[in-house]
Order: sequence, then C-alpha cells, then structure tokens
Amino acid sequence: MARSFDTLTAAEIAAGIAAGDFSAAEVCTAALDAIAAREPEVQAFLQVTPELAQEAAARIDAARAAGEALGPLAGVPLAIKDNMNLAGTRTTCASRMLENYESPYTATCVARMLAAGCIPVGKANMDEFAFGSSTDSSAFHPTNNPWDTARVPGGSSGGSAAAVAAGMVPLSLGSDTGGSIRQPAALCGVVGMKPTYGAVSRYGVVAFGSSLDQVGPFGRTVADVALAMDALVSGGRDPYDSTAQDVVPGFVAAAASAEDLAGTRIGLVPAFMEAEGLTAEVRAGVERAASALEAAGAELVEVDLPHVDAAIAAYYVIGPAEAFSNLARFDGIRYGYQEPGCANLAQQSALSRAHGFGDEAKRRQMLGAYLLSSGVYDTYYYAAQKARTLITADYTAAFAQVDAILMPATPHAAFRHGEISDPTQMYLSDMYTISLNIAGNGGIVVPVGLGEDTGLPMAAQLVAPAFADERLVTYAAVIERALADAATGAPVLGVAPACAGKGGELA
Amino acid sequence: MALTQEDVRGIADYARIALEGDELAQMTAYMNDAVAMLEPVLAYNLPDVEPTFHPIGDLSNVMREDAAAPERDLARDAALGNAVATRGDSFRVPSILGEGEA
Amino acid sequence: MRELKEVLEDWEAVIGLEIHTELTTLDTKMFCNCKLTHDDEPNTHVCPVCLGLPGALPVPNRRAIESIVKAGLATNCEIQKHSMFYRKHYFYPDMAKNFQTTQGPVAFCMHGRLDLEVTGRGAEERPACAFGEAEAASLASASAGAVGLSADLSRRADSQPAPTGADACAQNDPAPNDAGGTALAGLSSYDTAALATAERREDGSYTVPIRILRIHMEEDAAKMVHVGGEEGRIGGAAESLIDYNRCGTPLIELVTEPDLRTPEEARLFMEKLRRIFLTLGISDCSMEKGSMRCDGNVSLRRRGDAKLGVKTELKNLNSFKALHDGLAYEICRQAEVLEAGGEIYQETRHWEPSRKRTVVMRTKETADDYRFFPDPDLAPFDLTDEFIAHCAAEIPELPDAKRDRYQRDFGIKRADAEQIAGDPACADFFEEAAAGLAGKAAQTVANLIVNELTGYLNAAGAEVTLETCGIAPAQVASLARLLAEDAISSNQAHEVFTLMAETGDDPAKIVDERGMRQVSDTAALQPIVDAVLARCADQAQQYRDGNQKVLGFLVGQCMRESRGQGNPKLFNELLRASLS
Repeated sequence: MARSFDTLTAAEIAAGIAAGDFSAAEVCTAALDAIAAREPEVQAFLQVTPELAQEAAARIDAARAAGEALGPLAGVPLAIKDNMNLAGTRTTCASRMLENYESPYTATCVARMLAAGCIPVGKANMDEFAFGSSTDSSAFHPTNNPWDTARVPGGSSGGSAAAVAAGMVPLSLGSDTGGSIRQPAALCGVVGMKPTYGAVSRYGVVAFGSSLDQVGPFGRTVADVALAMDALVSGGRDPYDSTAQDVVPGFVAAAASAEDLAGTRIGLVPAFMEAEGLTAEVRAGVERAASALEAAGAELVEVDLPHVDAAIAAYYVIGPAEAFSNLARFDGIRYGYQEPGCANLAQQSALSRAHGFGDEAKRRQMLGAYLLSSGVYDTYYYAAQKARTLITADYTAAFAQVDAILMPATPHAAFRHGEISDPTQMYLSDMYTISLNIAGNGGIVVPVGLGEDTGLPMAAQLVAPAFADERLVTYAAVIERALADAATGAPVLGVAPACAGKGGELA
Repeated sequence: MALTQEDVRGIADYARIALEGDELAQMTAYMNDAVAMLEPVLAYNLPDVEPTFHPIGDLSNVMREDAAAPERDLARDAALGNAVATRGDSFRVPSILGEGEA
Repeated sequence: MRELKEVLEDWEAVIGLEIHTELTTLDTKMFCNCKLTHDDEPNTHVCPVCLGLPGALPVPNRRAIESIVKAGLATNCEIQKHSMFYRKHYFYPDMAKNFQTTQGPVAFCMHGRLDLEVTGRGAEERPACAFGEAEAASLASASAGAVGLSADLSRRADSQPAPTGADACAQNDPAPNDAGGTALAGLSSYDTAALATAERREDGSYTVPIRILRIHMEEDAAKMVHVGGEEGRIGGAAESLIDYNRCGTPLIELVTEPDLRTPEEARLFMEKLRRIFLTLGISDCSMEKGSMRCDGNVSLRRRGDAKLGVKTELKNLNSFKALHDGLAYEICRQAEVLEAGGEIYQETRHWEPSRKRTVVMRTKETADDYRFFPDPDLAPFDLTDEFIAHCAAEIPELPDAKRDRYQRDFGIKRADAEQIAGDPACADFFEEAAAGLAGKAAQTVANLIVNELTGYLNAAGAEVTLETCGIAPAQVASLARLLAEDAISSNQAHEVFTLMAETGDDPAKIVDERGMRQVSDTAALQPIVDAVLARCADQAQQYRDGNQKVLGFLVGQCMRESRGQGNPKLFNELLRASLS
C-alpha cells in the first residue's frame, strides 16, 4: 500500500531503512517528488540538489548492503539554510552578492548531519544574509507559509521552516541570530530549536552577528529535533570554532524521558504575557502549554526579567555592528558580485556592494558602520554590551528560582506578505526571541495547535539556562504529548493540510 | 542630534556602499528612525556594570596547536574559482588610484 | 640642508619606532592551519580562513601566543593576563576580510624597556646639551599619547582633542574610547621621574633606557603587486595583483615610546631587538625579506621646548642603514622647513634610498576611524601563571647577559662579545671554539670569528650560513692555537682560513703541508739577517744614522729571503740587536 513519505518522522525513516522496509534511494525519490509537487506553491528552496541527494542515498544503501552500521539519521532528507556551506552547492545567502558563489568547503553543522546519514535535498530560502523576519527580503523570491500561502513563513530561516511544515523534508537546519529559527517555527507550526550559543559549531555558516548566531534544527516532532541535536553535537567541540563548547549528545534520551515533572518549576514572565501587541490566541496557546506542564506535575512560578525591555535596542546595536564587520569582506574581489567596467577599486567596491546587496543588508551595514564609529561607539555599543550583562544576570537570577521559563515566541500569527513594510516596525516583532540571543542561552518552540481567531499555527517557547538545552526537549515533549491527538498520538500540528500527501509516495 | 544627509554620505563612503538617486534621503530617514529606536539602551551605560563582549562568559584561552592541516588547504583553482577577475595565479583589482596610498 | 650633527645642536628629534616582526619560525599561520611561506607560487597556501571566505572562523595559534609572551618577557614588559583580540576595519584588498584581527587597548605585553649602550662615533650624534637635566625634562614631556604615535589604537585616539603642553605628560594612555578606562585600570604606567636618564661617560659613550609602550599580536596582510606603474608603485598602476599566501602570517608589533633622540639610537634599538628575537628563536628577523619591518615617527622641537612638533611617519626603512639614513634625512629636512618658517604636515613619507630623500605617500588630514571592537569570534585571553612560567622557562640566555658573561669569563673585548652574543649560532660556535680558553687565547678566537668568519660568510652570500658553511669550531680553535704559538703570522691567518674553508682540512695540516709554518728559531734566522745587512749596507747605515723607518724595509728583505716563513717579530728584534 502506497503511503506518503510525509507521514513518517525522521526517526521512522531511519528505522525503516535500517530494517529494510524501504531503501534510502526510495526515500530520496519520494522527497524529490514531494518537493516537485509542493514547491510551486511554497517556494521554500533556492536550490534543489537531486544529484547530491541521490549519491548520499546510494552510499547509505551500499553501506547497508555491505552490512555496515548506519548513522542514526541514515536516509533522512535534510534541507539546509542557504547561509551554510555545502561543497557541491551554491551558498547564496539569498543575495545577488553571492548568486553564483560555489561553496569551496562544507560547514561543520552540515558535515555532522551528513555524517549521521542525512541526505541533502537542497538549500532553503531565507531573508538576505538573515536580515529579516519574513523571508521576503530574499533577493530571488519570497517563500509562502504552507498553512496560508498569502502569508509569510517568518524568517530569516523561512525556507527551512516551510520545507518541514510542507512535508518536503522531515528535518532542516536554520540559524538564529534574533529569533530566526524560533519565529518561523512558530509561524509554520513546527518544532524549532536554538541551542545555547557555542553548543553547535558556527564554522561554515555565513556570519551575521558572530556573538548572536546559533545553528539549530527544525522538525515536526520534538523527538526528531532531539535526533538532529545529538547529530549536531556529536564529535565534541569543533576545533574550527573558537566559541564552540563540548556538549554531551543526550537529547534523544532527554526527549524520551518526558514523564513526571513533579518537582520541576516553570517560570512565567507576567510582563511578557500582558505585553501590548500580544494577541489573545497566542496567549491562549501559551496557556495551553502551561496547563500541560502543570498537569504533568510542574509548578508554575512567576519570574521577572527586569532589564529585558532593553533587549531589542541592545540587539539592534550589537547585531548591525557585527553585521557591518562580517559583511565588509564582500567587496567583489575574491568572490561575489563585481560591478563591471569600473575605473578604480574604490568605485568597484562601492558599486559592487551597492548593487550586490539588497536594501535591508545595506541598511544594517550602514547602521553598524555608524554605531562603531569613533565617539558613537562609546555611547551605544558599550551601553548595549552592558545591557547584555544585565539581561544575562536577569536570566541567571530567574533560573535560580525555576528550571525553565515558558513564554510566547511571537506576538502574533503569521502575517501577510508586505503587511509590515516599515523596517523598524518589523524589528519590534522579535520582542520575545531576541533576549535569548543577547544572553546566549537556548530556547525551543513547540506547536500548541491552531489559533481560534486566525486558524493559523500557534506556538509556545521554552527557555533554559545556558547548556541545559536537554531540558528544553524534555519539557517540549511533555507539551507535545499532552496536546497530541488522543487516538493516533500524532502531534497537534502535522504537515500543513494543503500540502499533505501531495507527491512523495513511498512504494 | 539627527544625522544629516552629509553624515550619511560619509558613512556610506566609508562602508563602500554607493547610494544612488533617492537612496541617500531614504537611508538618512531610516538611520534616524533606527537610532531613535536604540534610545532605551542609553540608560544602561552604567559605570558599575562590566560589558559582556562574549556571551557565555567562562570561555577563555581557546588556542590550537601549531600544526599544518593540509586537508584544509584550498586548491588554487578553488581559491580563485569564485573570483570574477584574476590574472595568472593572482586575484586582480583595478587601479587603486584615489585610495589614498602611493 | 645642514648636517645632522649641526641640526641636532639646535633641534631635539623625538623619535618613536613601530617594529613589525613576522613569527617565521612557526609552522602555521595565526588563525588557520596554512603553512607559513615566503616564496611559493601565489595563492597556494590559502584556506577558507585566511582567504576570508564567508563562514570561516579564526582559531589562535598557541605557539604564536607563547612567542609574543616570550618577546614581552625578554623586553621587560608586563605580561597582561587578560586581553582580547579586536577587529580593525579598513577596506583594502590586502586584508581578505577587510578587517585585521589585532589587539585592543590591552596588548599581551605592555610597558617594557630596553637599555641601549651607545658608543663610538654613533654616540657623537647626541649633542652634549642632551644629557642630564635636559634629558629628564625631555623624557617627561614626550610620551606616546602626546606624540600621537600612529600605533593602531592611538589612531582611534587621534580623533580626540590633542593634548598640548603640560597636559601631554599625563597622556600616555592610547586606549580607544571603548576601553572606558576600565580595561586599563589594572595597568601600572611608567614613572618617568624614576627613569634613569642618559649620562655621558668620559669616552663619549652613554647608556639610555628606551621605553616600550606595547607589543601586540596581529596578522600580516597579503602581498600586492602593482602592474603598469613606475617601479611597481601604485601611482599610475593599471591594476594590482594579490597573493594571499602571506595573509594571516603571525605578526607582532612593538611600539616604542618616543624616547629615541638620534638616528643612531634608533638603529641600535632595532639591532638590539633583532638580536633578542633571534635568540628567542621566534623569527628569522630578515629585514631583507621583510620578516622584520620598521616604521619611524619623528618630530622636531627646539631644544628646551616642552611642546612637541608635528610628526611625520617614515616607511620603507628596510635595512639598518635605511633606518639611520632615512631618519637623518627627515630630521634635516624638517629642520630646513621649520627654519625657513614653514610648516610640517602630519603625513606618511617614503624613504628612497637611491635618491637619498623622503617623499610624501599620503597626507592625513583627518584621523582614520578603524571602527575597533572586540572580535566576537575569538574568546578572550586570561593567561595563567603556568602558561607564562612555561614561556619564561623556554627563554634562553639573552644577548646582554651573554655579552657580559663572555666579557667576564672569556675576557674578550665588549664590542666583540656584543657582536658574537647577538647571533645565537655564532655564540654557540664561539663557546665551542673557545672552550677552556681565556684572555688572549679567547680573544684570538673572537677575532677570527668577528673578522675572518663573518667576512667569509658575508662574501659567500645569503645561501651560506654558519650552520651550512662546513667550518667547524675545532678548526677555528686550531687556527687560533697556531696564531698563539706564533706558528703563523696574522697575515698568514687569512690565507689559512680561506684554505681551511675551501678544503675542510685542519689548519695545522694546511700549514704543514704547504710549508707555511713560521720559523721562530734564532739560530736559523740570524744567518739571514746577517746576509741582508751585508747586501743592504746603505740602508743599515741610514738606520744607524737615526732613520728608524728603514727597519721596515730590512724586515721585508729578511722575509723575502726566508720565503715568507721567518717570524717578522723575531727578524725585527734580531735586526735591532745587530744594528745597535
């Protein structure tokens, strides 16, 4: 009996291949079929890589035939955000600047997913250089939210979230600098996790804000995200990233241990729950998650994060400053767009950057160049890094009282393309995600059903102390199970209905 | 103390971003909006608070051994492969005249 | 233009140096695993990190950090346990990322000092008026902040109002504004009052302390070749070609306080530093290849003035001679401009050795703004006591200590001891050749090394080094013995040395095989003396009449008669005796 590949979790695919129920090549074909059928509506990818995927699938089938041990994600199709290098693909960052950039090497996070057995099916769309919350700033095309194609999938990792929500892949990688994994996960109704800064190597991921960026996975279940996390941290600290740290791969075990939460204290921040701009349906969704945790035995405790109101301002000092610095290298000389016919270098650089970068990329770099300039730096940058100290201390103090904090991920459901046109207005929609990038600790977003007003995906966010990320999957799994379909045990949100079952039959 | 178009032009020159047509006016408006949004942070320039330049503060002295890793080297074709302009084995840039160096 | 010596009577030159040294003895670059290279094919030692590819990240080389800590310890710096790498932004294609990774207001090494011994003719450059109280006043009013050293960080500080006059002495903190005072709070700064000032000794020599502001760690830039312009200069070049092999090479930059007052002092400082770095083994210190490079800052002020003049920065000082001559020219040029009522502009000037002049490279009308900020990709450093102790334990005996020991234990001349001790290979050679010797015998070995061996190596070219030339310490010891025994004359020593270097034979064997051994037997020489006196009766009479000079002619005749093998000193004695 034919069934759609999108009904399977990553764990089930890997188990089915290991058991011989189907081959990696068959899964690969199904994934490519699903992409072909669903991509016209969703447009999650900038590049689909059938050859790379088929080669990887063939290697796995050959390994199995030879009796070799298979990786924990053997044969699982993976989408990769297009700011991550994978040799054999272009890495464009959704920018004209890098339209033709061939990756000369492979990012550590990608290499580790491939080492665990994933098959790379393509590079996912994003806001240009990860500057944005809608994926609309991609230089090539927007991505549509699979739940309502008139709406954005969120951003900047919108392609990665949409590909999972549309059932084109069970897993994808994104990067999160101010919410770029968690916000699109919330808007697309999938699980998304930003681990603690340093848990996953940033080597090979095109930098936006070096002290803020962190790589993490998207999946449709907490268990799948846990599998990806174990793959990402396996092998220990990456020697190519000075800011990476050792993390023990205990995520799968942590997700499976979701049982009794007696003795666990979960914090709620009243200021967040009562914030202006938070919609009733999002608040109701977070309350459903709170009830689920309480029902499992957790105690709900109010905590305060007194300095968190400075987070957005601090973020828009630190982020652009680091972005200006990181993007200075794009001058069209060694790689990237080069303006033809320039008489001298200064003109060539200025025009290559003017025409290679989109508006938001230029805005952020201009702001950063101003904020780092002599005199201004003292006033803003220093203050922002002091605010960072205070925000970090807020979290530390809160975690002295509670094991994790539950909060919204976004103030509202997915918005329509073009609905938020003012850049500074767009910045404010990151209010619930940004403080974690400032402090560095990890967060997970888990779906809690559809909103009663919009009918769109709703989500809750859990936040844990630094390097206590395994708690996130434990508590998220409790929420997931509490809200699951009583009959089938399926998560409250699966593949977006308009996409489910379209193409991708697995024989 | 708003940024003028002249200020913004100076920053753009420094950042090697040519602003064409009405981009200068738009960028100036944006910069002033954005800087206004950053206002809350000014209250945090407190004398008794140390700045945090690196999150997750206990990391220090990260070093590697002084050992070659030939597998990391790029073949010259790969090194030059993404460049639009090369000459022989080198990257090529047009005249640097006007860059302020002799 | 007036002569330097004359100019320095009226004007005080305030000189500071910035010395970049590539850590060439490491295997790999500063932040990646690419091999260090000097002359490979372009762009063959590059990787995502040093090519600045999107997504690449830096990881610091432990031995580079150890090397700079050793450099700091050997130059009496305070080792700063806590420091960070910063990003210094400038758009120029020799830096692949368009920023250089360097250090912030706190460098690994701060506030060091080297004492210079200035002797001989070089000491004459500093006029008599520049000693004692005048020198103390001069030191107090000149400091890095005041003179606006173009050290990376003070460039940022350049944009602050320049301190003037009496305020200047407090302004030796070049911190960028981000330091906010806190980063430097733990640093002691120097006490200028306690600093020893130069006093001239009777022989004209003097010792002067030169303060070191800082030594920081950074990465070198790529090499650029400018095509189509005159002599590879940018002016008129149609295009430039970039080779990133050198990009990312570990580089340490030492910045002195502006304590140098003469070109000779600058040259000596550079020489001394080079000897120390060679001894530490952290670099090949080749000025020729560019692994050690020096920029000079110089300004003039009237003798007795506290207010500093406007400084210029000199580039292309890529030999000891260029360093001295470039500074000397620039001092004279500035004096001429100032004496004619002109103005000195803050600018960078290029020394042209062939034309013996400096020319403007660029004028700094506004201070550069490098947008310094702490590099978020690199964790901060908190060096442990163990790490520093480990570095200290690896420091060998330094040149000054070695020089003093050679003078004390071997009894050789201080100047020779200084020269030998400054080159680690040469010092090892000397110690082996002179083992067990002292006084005159050791001095003979030193003479052979300083004159014959050095001369031979210089003539042999850059490919031949002490290690590869094939000359063994035992051979030099043997040659010294022959000289001490009067078996050969010092004139013969040069010939024997050359034969020894060519054949690899022991000098005694060479002398014997070629019948060069000097005859010092009175009985054998007296008949020759008698014969010469009989043949040269006129000259003999002239000597007896009081013409002493003719004795040299008679010794020469004896030497000829003996086919060069008679001991000239003995001939001399025998002739005098016979004629008296």
